Amino acid sequence: MSSDPTPEALRMEVRSWLEQNVPAGWRAAMTGTDQEAFVRAQRDWFFKLVQAGYATPHWPQGWPGGGRSLAEQKIIYEEVARADAPRLILYFVALYHAACTLMEWGSTEQKEKYLPGILKGDVWCQGFSEPNAGSDLASVKTRGELRGDRYVINGQKTWSTMAQYADRCLLLVRTGKSEPPQGGLTYLLLDMRSKGLSVRPIAQITGDDEFAEIFFDDVEVPVEARIGQEGEGWAVAQSTLASERGLTLVELTQRMRYSLPRIAALMRERGRAEDPALRGELGRLIAKVDAACALADRYLLKRISGEEAPGDASIVKLYYSRTLREFTALGLRISGLQGQYREDFTRGGGQETGNWAVDFMNSYNWSIAGGSDEIQRNIIAERLLRMPREPKNWQLPSDRS
Amino acid sequence: MNTDLNELRDSVHQVLSEGGLAAGEDKTWPLVVELGWLLVALPEKLGGLEQGFPGACAIHTELGRSLAAAPYLPAMLAIDAVCRGGLADREAWVERLTSGDFITAPLAESATFITRAGSGKTKLNGLATAVPSASKASHVLICASEGDCVALVPLGQPGVELIRRPTWDATRCLFDLRFADVSLDDKLVLARGSAARELSRIISTERDFALAADCVGGASALLDMTVEYLQTRRQFGRPLALFQALKHRCADLKAFTSAAEALLLDSLGRLGDQIGGPEAERMGKTVKSLACSVYSKVAEEALQLHGGIGMTSEHPCHLFLKRALLNAHLGRRCDSYELDIAAGLLN
Repeated sequence: MSSDPTPEALRMEVRSWLEQNVPAGWRAAMTGTDQEAFVRAQRDWFFKLVQAGYATPHWPQGWPGGGRSLAEQKIIYEEVARADAPRLILYFVALYHAACTLMEWGSTEQKEKYLPGILKGDVWCQGFSEPNAGSDLASVKTRGELRGDRYVINGQKTWSTMAQYADRCLLLVRTGKSEPPQGGLTYLLLDMRSKGLSVRPIAQITGDDEFAEIFFDDVEVPVEARIGQEGEGWAVAQSTLASERGLTLVELTQRMRYSLPRIAALMRERGRAEDPALRGELGRLIAKVDAACALADRYLLKRISGEEAPGDASIVKLYYSRTLREFTALGLRISGLQGQYREDFTRGGGQETGNWAVDFMNSYNWSIAGGSDEIQRNIIAERLLRMPREPKNWQLPSDRS
Repeated sequence: MNTDLNELRDSVHQVLSEGGLAAGEDKTWPLVVELGWLLVALPEKLGGLEQGFPGACAIHTELGRSLAAAPYLPAMLAIDAVCRGGLADREAWVERLTSGDFITAPLAESATFITRAGSGKTKLNGLATAVPSASKASHVLICASEGDCVALVPLGQPGVELIRRPTWDATRCLFDLRFADVSLDDKLVLARGSAARELSRIISTERDFALAADCVGGASALLDMTVEYLQTRRQFGRPLALFQALKHRCADLKAFTSAAEALLLDSLGRLGDQIGGPEAERMGKTVKSLACSVYSKVAEEALQLHGGIGMTSEHPCHLFLKRALLNAHLGRRCDSYELDIAAGLLN
């Protein structure tokens, strides 16, 4: 794909492509559907995007649509939000987490082995979190024991998005004891068809099961599938987590702004459009949504100009998650009793689908996953406000005996 | 943000820091005049610094940060109105005003009426509210609430009564101005009819942005001060800043102030030369509403986080709180902001 002369030309090109290619009526089609149908629809949408060069603008030149600047990627995301296109949930880990980790840390052989597969539709999942390693990721306990030319894995991972459909997994395991605990971690690329591996979907409070647990019983991973050196896993994982570079929050905040008319429509539908108290609440919400958009936007501009400070990203995420909670809670409240009756939900429909009960429940994804609000507050306080870290050592009186 | 604007902001910040918090009008107004801050938004041909309205807002932010008493906000509204208006000797006026001849303006909605008397003379009646430092001003900028007229009204004339209205916020010196059959000088009329309506709209939008900038500066300074206090103050053998319950509250305040600042700068960036348009008006209302609520929230939390010392008059905590509370009621009617923003989506 040729590089466009101006940002505005790119914007118009993406806009007109989306107008012609976003599947008509996809929201209705994805409402009340089963997960298999959703996966098929995600695949179709993914291949369309790949073909047009809009799935991998962040990959280097030479890949479809690759070599786009961050500013150009931002335009693509803004247009995707504007067009209300389906969110590409199934491929996010592959396109960002896996690809960016491979680009940064992978050997030539690894890049040649895995990257083309992503464009052919390999689904990747993330195997970082564990039952006892959530916010505290460094306390990963799943063991990787080197035996000859393979690692033998035992343990359990959890909160792995769409793992039941994944072909491969980004796996963080403990290969050694270390103080600090970050030191003994190793990063592996796991084939999800490996022997001894089982996946169990987690039934969520919404009735959906987009996350899964992964169990390892002597699962073997060849040494060639290790990325980075043994013990270097923590540093590699940091690249994985930094790979989406603020683009997701640009997309999500924009989508939130484009969803505000849903609240207005709901107020009319419920005969509450003239209620001054609700109107006041809506006005305050709009101001916060606008501010969330401005924060995400300016954060990305800072990244483009290299002026980002550690902790800046946490402000964007925390403000987004709080605003999203207020947004969905307002929708749920205006829905009244109607909102309490079970209704089908829309898969891949973003955070403000209009099924306000489900949207409200799903808003907890954003305040818990990817570093909970509490973790973000710690980071903001310690990195940006330079308040001291808590002492590491503590003991409850009952532990002393 | 361009380099010139950053340098300007830094130099304003530097000068105001040297003067200390809540420096009086007698100290800060001469700085405003001598350092050319009144020229910041003007084009080069008028001797200006060409930083536009974002430049003015950068200075409003810094003045808010230091709680300065100088009536820069009404002065800038008047200068901009004079530049946009149709005075015959406009350039001479601009020069007068940027060299320190102070014209004030109401910072709240007023009830002022223009009528044409039988004699053909235009008369001004009514009350202008929240007019800063009127005792030091030569004129006041009046956007008539009825009669579609924007004009400069000399203050030292019969029929104009200045009523000092002491506020809890000691960094502002507000007056009510009562007008009783004051004859308007045609030569001082800036706009009439639809042009007056448009100019009034611009002035109200600028006032919203300027007040928002004051809030953003104040909130950010107060949060810094609070964090510093928590670093220093020790109880239970440790700095208060070590307690996670307090850290998390500060982190929330940091997120709120960053959001208000981002919205302000983003909106200013989008304004371009469309400050008279409905989108500019909407953005002004939005950022004013958010910035005021954030400033109030930070001020309320800061007082609590300071504990007893925050209740004493020698500690500056209360100065921020009082300015935050007053700011919320300047501009348009406080509750109207959210309702107007919602109306933009619902109507």
